[in-house]
Amino acid sequence: MRFTLIKDIKQDKMMKPILSGLLIFILLYLISDIFVKSANFGISIDTLNTTLFGNEDEYIDPITTAVLLEFWHSEIFFSMMILLTLSTIFIRVVNSYKVRLFFLNTLMLAAILSLISLPLAYFLNAFFVHIYLYSFFIWHIAAIYIALHSTFKLYND
Amino acid sequence: MLSGIMIFEHKIGFSVQNIANYYLGDAAQFINAKTYSGVLKTILPHIISFALFSMVLLHFLIFTKHRNKTNIKVLIFVMYMSAFVEIFSPMLILFGYEIFTYFKLLSFGLFMGTVFYTLWLLFRSIMNK
Repeated sequence: MRFTLIKDIKQDKMMKPILSGLLIFILLYLISDIFVKSANFGISIDTLNTTLFGNEDEYIDPITTAVLLEFWHSEIFFSMMILLTLSTIFIRVVNSYKVRLFFLNTLMLAAILSLISLPLAYFLNAFFVHIYLYSFFIWHIAAIYIALHSTFKLYND
Repeated sequence: MLSGIMIFEHKIGFSVQNIANYYLGDAAQFINAKTYSGVLKTILPHIISFALFSMVLLHFLIFTKHRNKTNIKVLIFVMYMSAFVEIFSPMLILFGYEIFTYFKLLSFGLFMGTVFYTLWLLFRSIMNK
């Protein structure tokens, strides 16, 4: 993470294309993640409830504990990597303290909330599905904005 | 890298026909065609893994005498572009653009080539210090 130490990241001719490439891939990941969740897990209350708790009318079994834990495990890891990388770049390229404070806190809190609410929904109370869904979209939208803003800031002062 | 090459060889195969059979299916070999959602599910973790792997490897070049050279900028571009084509060509194969079977194979080789070249530059730099 050498770019955390470079004095002015925008003036470094090597780091700019490297970070641009990384930000583009992160953007693609965030967008693809929404499509994958839509197809395999659900991005609405009904589909999420069906995935987690099953649907007797449609003869759909609920997700098993092992599969959920595996899914949750990989979500934690990939979310952590995205959050770490995005926030490190964002802090370096955006000068405004208030903008950094607002977006990074929104991103981190929404992401952590979505990760915590998923097992709570499965093991405790189905109400947490609502919290998972809203926090999932908030952190994805915040992350997409941060990635776009950082890419713009890399090439413009 | 080695495990990636071995998995590619074992699951798909290093030929255009094997790649086409893997994604589009082959009734004679009892291979089912891949679905869009299935391919997308496989692609997703690769997007971030390829990106982070490339970024971490490339940014070590800043410590070497190769920083700010034009060929390094070309290397950065080629590594990211080959990763992008390698990751997303399966979707295009499924959409019916079978020419992307060639791109899949070429981009895999190109990405591996750029990674090994970068590693060689880094090790040479370490040895010469």
